[in-house]
Amino acid sequence: MSGYILKRLALAAAVILTVLVILFSLLRLVPGNPVTIALGPQATPAAIAHYSAKMNLDQPVWVQFATYARNVVTGDLGEDIFTGRKVAIIVGEQIGYSLMLMVAAMGWAIVLGIPLGCLAAVRPNTWLDRITGVLSVGTIAIPSFLMAIWALLILSVQLRWLPAMGAGEAGDYGDQALHLILPAFAVGLGWVGYLARMVRASMLEVLGEPFIRSARAFGLTPQRVIFSYALPVAILPTITLIGMGFGGLISSAVFAEVIFARPGVGKLIYDSVQARNFPIVQGAVVVTTALYILVVLLSDLLVSWIDPRVRRVL
Amino acid sequence: MTQPTLSRRGFLASGTALTALAMGGFLPPIARAQPEKVLRLRMDGDIKILDPGYMIGGIEIEAQKQCLPFLAQYKRDGDTIGWEPTYYVSKLEQRDPTHIDFELVEGLNWSGGHGPLKASDVKFSYERMKKSEWAGYFEVLDHVEVTGERTGTIVLTKPFAPFFLVTLCHGPGAILCERAVTEAGGRFTTQFPAVCGPYLFSNAPGQAATFLPNPDWSGPKPEFDRVQAKIITQVKATELAYEAGELDCTQIDSDAVARYRAGPPPGSELTKAGELNFMWLGMNSEHPKLHDIRVRRAIQHAVDVDSIIAAAYSNVATKSCGIICPGLIGHRTETKFYTYDPAKARELLAEAGVNGLKLSLRTLNTQQPMLVAQIVQANLGAVGITLEVIPLDAGPFWEMGMESAGDTWKDLELWTMRFGSVPDPYEASQWFVSSQVGNWNWERWTNPEYDSLVEQGIAESNPEKRNDIYLRLQEIMEETGAYVWLCHEPRYYVHRSDISVNVSPSGQQDYRLFTVI
Repeated sequence: MSGYILKRLALAAAVILTVLVILFSLLRLVPGNPVTIALGPQATPAAIAHYSAKMNLDQPVWVQFATYARNVVTGDLGEDIFTGRKVAIIVGEQIGYSLMLMVAAMGWAIVLGIPLGCLAAVRPNTWLDRITGVLSVGTIAIPSFLMAIWALLILSVQLRWLPAMGAGEAGDYGDQALHLILPAFAVGLGWVGYLARMVRASMLEVLGEPFIRSARAFGLTPQRVIFSYALPVAILPTITLIGMGFGGLISSAVFAEVIFARPGVGKLIYDSVQARNFPIVQGAVVVTTALYILVVLLSDLLVSWIDPRVRRVL
Repeated sequence: MTQPTLSRRGFLASGTALTALAMGGFLPPIARAQPEKVLRLRMDGDIKILDPGYMIGGIEIEAQKQCLPFLAQYKRDGDTIGWEPTYYVSKLEQRDPTHIDFELVEGLNWSGGHGPLKASDVKFSYERMKKSEWAGYFEVLDHVEVTGERTGTIVLTKPFAPFFLVTLCHGPGAILCERAVTEAGGRFTTQFPAVCGPYLFSNAPGQAATFLPNPDWSGPKPEFDRVQAKIITQVKATELAYEAGELDCTQIDSDAVARYRAGPPPGSELTKAGELNFMWLGMNSEHPKLHDIRVRRAIQHAVDVDSIIAAAYSNVATKSCGIICPGLIGHRTETKFYTYDPAKARELLAEAGVNGLKLSLRTLNTQQPMLVAQIVQANLGAVGITLEVIPLDAGPFWEMGMESAGDTWKDLELWTMRFGSVPDPYEASQWFVSSQVGNWNWERWTNPEYDSLVEQGIAESNPEKRNDIYLRLQEIMEETGAYVWLCHEPRYYVHRSDISVNVSPSGQQDYRLFTVI
């Protein structure tokens, strides 16, 4: 197991390095002087010169990259060009909101999606299976941002049942939970369908396996067969999917953060790209990449713990 | 000693009596706590730098207005924008074209025990600005002479008529506490070292900026105890937040203005803050295809500005006839050299011997500029000019006419442009002088009379003479044939009907001066 973990960590480091190179190159390839865009069209020459030096833009590109990579390795993600605040602190302030949204969105999707998939699999080709299928495909097909806007218009603007904007008052957990409902609903809805379809397909495959037939032949109750024998095997691909989806939610939640004016890393990156605030974009993407890799790694470790055969394959 | 007793009957009787008193409104003030008056607004982004010398502008100026002293503030007189002294001064007078005397009111203190507001703070703040990134606003400042603890004179190097409106009323005119700023190392970013205003500022990045009562403030008390400004970057999201009842006042775009005019949200009304943006269609007068003034004049005649305003600005924007915005000295209400006349355009093209002309128009790739471009494309098509629309991201767009940013300026033919101004005509006019060719004068014409008029406009303090100067100056611009004036886009705010809002012409809300009607 330790060899497997080491191999995965080496792979994670390679992925982070690749992301750094791609990100750095892309930011430099975006047309337009980042300082002029950040400061606006009527920025004074003094301000342009000051911020160019602050962003290292007066240095050759390879020097900029070397400085940046060295800083990242030592844990220094740089400073916001405007406020001079540490990027690590800025990202740290926002990441909690993103994690909260991701956990809530994926949480309700898991709670609803997995049982729906199981139910559809144990009653194949019944009206229940068909309804579940239609609902699953429907939730996958409807764009999440559209669902977010509809939910906002109906539940906040029209009915005024739920708050529309922001993350709630600091320290007021009830208010924060209320502000989480709509964004988590919008972000997680598609995942209900994905998970239900995935679990159904896996379960159907597993339920046809000889060991399930043997379990039934031994006279085990249907519930025991499903929850103790079929589900632990059928859930393996779903765990990997959840791991990858959880990591991907960091970036895909940006639409919810923008529509609901919620703080979060996605919105931070979006706003920083608009303002060409390179240090924040770079720092935030490095953190989210690391987080993504960590979550995928954890899901892989979980799968390899449940099914030791996968440790042989990297 | 008698112990107090409470029987069930006594408790019920007392409770009933208190309830009846409360319902009748007879409870003494101490028993009925006043609810906190909270004003809920929107900010379009995070506060980055509050220091007036190094700020980005916009919302940072809005925050400064609540927490820092200013000598002057904007005043509306009908449709005209003027200035008046703030409550921080008991005297603010222009003694002669280069001397402005001021006297600060007594008893106003900086927070954090930094002592009283002094004339030396004014000197420190304004002379510091001369070395800052906003130095342009203080280019004509020679020095500030301190004549007493609270009195002084602002001395200018030359007459500069816009000084009150452009400098003293605007963000760069904020006064800082010399002692606190020096202790903070000379500069600051997201926190004020000391405030001297009704509110203290606190910031939750990505979420909200909060303005709480300043316990050290002895000046006029604002109407609202607390101001909560949510960070909402998207205007459309802001409109939804307002409609959901989560904001009391917010800026809205042209679409929403048209929609709310037809049927505003219950208990709401609209307020126009100003129209300090000016939009035009520019032409590169040096480009071989546009060198002949008859071709440029034909384009002026071919563009239907009324249709543009109807389609792209929902009939909310004011038709433009120059660069000076409504409410300012020198604002023009009609053009002299062109009107919408496609027949005349065709005639001029024929006269110039131009047939099958193909041009390109560069525009920002956002909704409104793209709509404008499409209408111009149709208008020019109607007179025989084929127009290719080139949408651009903000990055390449804002530097395409600059010689310092490559050779794109050589290929520039037509473009749609939007500038924002301050409430004085001098700022809008300065971008088109000869020295700005290759910088912001992308139309690339020069005229010595224009250059001279810009200088005269700055020095002249007589409003009537200034009016004549700026009218003539725009006439010269129009005569070049390089401009089709489009519109002045207004800044509109939707707010609760029971609130009277105070917004500067350039769009900064002054929460201190919001009142409940």
